[in-house]
Parts: sequence; C-alpha cells; structure tokens
Amino acid sequence: MMKRLRIERATGQLLAARPGAASTPSIALRAAQVPVRHSSSSAVEAEPTPIYEEDGTDHSRFPPLEKLPPLTSTLPSPLPERALQSAKLAALHARLSLSPKIPLQTLARTLVDPSADPSPQFNNSSLAFLGSTIINYHASESFMVHYPRLPMDVLYAAMTGLAGPAPLNRIAKAWGTEVAAAPGGEVDPGLLQFSLEKTGESVLGFGYTRTVVEKINKNNWQRSVASKVIYDDDFGQVITPPPQPEEEQPAAEEEKDSEFSNTSSPKFSPTSYGSSQTRELSEKAHANFVRAVVGAIYTHSGREAAKAFVKAHILSRHLDLERLFAFKHPTLELALLCAREEFDPPVARLLSETGRLSRTPVFVVGIYSGNDKLGEGSGATLEHARLKAAMHALKAWYLYSPGQGLRVPSDVLDDGVKSGKAWEPVYVDIGELISR
Amino acid sequence: MAVKALQAVSQGRNGVGAFILQCKRIDLHYCDWAGSSKGMNGFIKSLFPKFAAAHPQIEFTVSPRPAKHPVAIGHYINGRSKPICVRNMEPYEILKKLELLRDASGEKLKKVTKPVRSVNESVRGIWSPYHGNGMPL
Repeated sequence: MMKRLRIERATGQLLAARPGAASTPSIALRAAQVPVRHSSSSAVEAEPTPIYEEDGTDHSRFPPLEKLPPLTSTLPSPLPERALQSAKLAALHARLSLSPKIPLQTLARTLVDPSADPSPQFNNSSLAFLGSTIINYHASESFMVHYPRLPMDVLYAAMTGLAGPAPLNRIAKAWGTEVAAAPGGEVDPGLLQFSLEKTGESVLGFGYTRTVVEKINKNNWQRSVASKVIYDDDFGQVITPPPQPEEEQPAAEEEKDSEFSNTSSPKFSPTSYGSSQTRELSEKAHANFVRAVVGAIYTHSGREAAKAFVKAHILSRHLDLERLFAFKHPTLELALLCAREEFDPPVARLLSETGRLSRTPVFVVGIYSGNDKLGEGSGATLEHARLKAAMHALKAWYLYSPGQGLRVPSDVLDDGVKSGKAWEPVYVDIGELISR
Repeated sequence: MAVKALQAVSQGRNGVGAFILQCKRIDLHYCDWAGSSKGMNGFIKSLFPKFAAAHPQIEFTVSPRPAKHPVAIGHYINGRSKPICVRNMEPYEILKKLELLRDASGEKLKKVTKPVRSVNESVRGIWSPYHGNGMPL
C-alpha cells in the first residue's frame, strides 16, 4: 500500500522571487556578523550533521525546500540575502504596489520586530519610528485642516482611531501579513516575526516621560488636556519609560547559562495565543510593521510617495467622528457656547409630538438661538429630546468643516513649489469651549 | 464637564484609496501519472508561467500529489480557502478556474439583493413623519 505523501514537505516554489532589488549595506553587516556568531557557538565542529534530521524526513526522497546557509537557525532573524528567495515577500511587495526602488531586503527588515531581533541594525524599530512620525503628521494635519474645531480629547481619540495601534493592526491583517510561529533565522523572510515571550524595546513616539508616571498609572490620576499636549505622545497617552537595563542584565546572563538546558517552560505557550497580553504584543508588532513600511517608502522613494501611501492606506479609512463625542451636560455647555459667541441664549421648543399619553410617545425638540435653529432631536421624553437636540447642536459646532479635500500644509511642499501656488491660511479656531 | 472622547477604530474599505487583491496564494497540485492530470500538466507547462508572471501579488506553489486528481486551491486574506478540483479539464478551462480563484474575495458565496452596500450615511436622510406639512386626509 502506498504511503500517503505529505504535501507540505514536497511543496516547491515555481516562481523565483523578483529580481532587481538592490543590495543594502545591512547585508555586508550581517555577513560580517555571521562568523562572529559562529565562533561563539560550539556547534561549528558539528557542521556535517544535517539540519532537517530532527523531523525524521528522508532527504534523499524529499529534498529540503531551501538550502539554508549553515547555522542559520542560530540567528535571531533571517539573513537579508534570503529575502530575494522568498515568494511570500515578493507577493507582499507586489500586493502593496510598492515601487521597485524599495528593495526586498528592506521589506524583509520591516517584518522583523524588536522582540524577535533586539539588534537595531536588523529589526524594524528605526523604520517604524520614522514611519510613525510620518503617519501621525499626515493624520493630524488632515484633522487640523478639515475639522478645526475638534476638542483636543476628541482629536486624540480620532488620531488613535485612525493612526493608532488598533487600526494599523487591522491594516496589517488586511494586507495579508502572515505570522511566523516563532522568530528565528530559519523562518521565511516574508513572515512577520515577533516574540510572545519578551517585549522588544522600540523607541516610538516623541514625548516626555513624566516624573510621576508610576503614580499616574497606579492611581489613575487625571491629566489636564494642556499637560497632555505638552508631555504625552501623539495620542495623548502617557509615555512609560522602558524597563531599567539593570534588571535585564542578570536575566540575560541566566539565559546564557541555561541556553542548552532550556527546560523551563516559556511564559506563553503557543496555545495561549489568545490571552490579552499576547494579543497586545501581536497588535504592537503588526502596527510597527505598517509604520516600518511607511518608513521604508520614505527612505527609498521620498516624501511624496510616503504621503501618497499614507493617504491611500490609512487616511482613506472610514472613521465616524460623530461617534467619538460623549457629553455630560450638553445643555449647559451649549449655553456657555452661545454666551461666548454672543448668540442669543438657547431656547428649547417643542416642534412636534405624537402619542403623549401612549406607551411610545415621540417628541421632537428644536433648540433655537433667537430665530436660528441650532439643533434638533427626538426622544421618548421631553428631557431626552432636549438633551439630544443640545448634543446635536454642539456636534454641529465642533464638527464644522471648511470643506473636504482642502490643501494641507504638506501639499505646499509637493506641488506648491512647482506650480507656485501660494499657501492660503486655513481656518484656525479660537479653541474649545471648556477645557480642563 | 468638558467633552469626553470615546474610542473607535477606523473601518477599511478595500478599493477606496488602495486596492488589495484578496487572493494571496494559489496552490496547484498535479499527478505525473494519472490521466485526469493531463490537462493540468499541460497547463503548468504552457499557460501557467505567463499567468503567474502577470500576477506577482499572488504566491503560487506547484507540487505533485501522486495518485490524486489535480486541484487548485486559492487562499484568501480573510483566512478562508477555495479548492477547485480540475480533473479532466483542458488547460484553458483550468485557466478560467484560476481566474475565478484570483477574482474571488474569499467570502462564502451569498445572494446579493441590494445594489449598493455602503457605510456612508444616506445623502437624503431618513423620511420622518414628524416633519413637513404631513399628508392632508
């Protein structure tokens, strides 16, 4: 009886990866590093042992898919030159319609999270930092021009909803990014590599680490909007300092000692992938990948290409700003707004109603300032309808937009220089009504 | 008292801004011996290189599966896959099947009854019985 073949073992790549990718200096770096890593390992003498023997595959019948350079599996991330052989990476490059100026090696590097490879020469932390600044700049300038009256807290929420880790994670998933089960030198360079056992250190976001950051995190202290603007990152989140290097050192030494007798169970087994902490690590790695791709585009193709990419993939997504508002005292706030703007004080008037004595009454209430109707709302009670009308009026004020598709400041850099079109100042609001 | 903010995550709309082809991988399996793979073997030799070169955004794998019917399996970004058995088919029929796999979204097939599905709110608004002059009886 014929034994059933395992398809995965016999799979061969018909398509070679797309050539034409320029080499990067990191190749030379890594090539220079490999022998160093060799010398530190005791496995150099045991060279002729086949690498793939552990799974019991007969290599005379089923040759390995890819001839890996020796000691590849000891490296934390795949060698840059292997990027040219990866079909997954070439497909990802084409799927994102990236310019041929962006080499496959750089795209491979964007897929290596700092938690997989701590060396900043091989991981994506620097590209991700660059990308995050570009993404956040374009997102915030778009909000500033198109919604000049957004309150600061809502602006932070909108930034988080459009350019924060959660949407970037979804973007990475929508690009068809596949994840390596565990990082290592032998994995396909087209897979996203991050570790669930340790968090990588990546410098992301400008900001100031507050001296009382522990107390803020522990006691849930309130932070003023003004201090968020000054101290915190682009999403109004407190910047938590990275863990102290003193604590890391002994742990690293212990790992070295127990490198070959690593019987201690890892903190997260692959089956616990669904825990909240691992989900957070996965989200962070996916988001950093998207940022790193933007950083890579900026590095190889320039500002305009990076801006077009951000616009096409991130800013084009749908975010309903109306759903980001939560009012506590809308009528009071509306009265203060009318006083500040020297409108007549707001008055609620019943516009129409039905079934007042029934089980399901409906009241339609309008809020008027003089003869101008500011907002309108309907509800099952008069109070509810009045509050909805006030919220509607406030949202109409805060979500004022001079128009869609306006020129943003960075447009002047792109076409203003060529066409000579001068920058027209955009509308700048005097500020939100009540600020903490 | 000031305005508080709620959290929301932006929704992707494939094709608005950028379009990502939903088919990310196509596996082709053939048998060297069986007659049902005759068309598949001819397809791999004649038409397939051109098709693969025209679709760099799809990863293609070709592998033997002895003593089985030939099959083409599409893998999609949403995690689903779509296998099509292509036994006894001519190369051009197989090309049609590959185009079908390429164009599919990976979603389960369902009947589309509405002409447009959109996240944008209606431009005309929703009709209200409480506004306007109403209907005289």
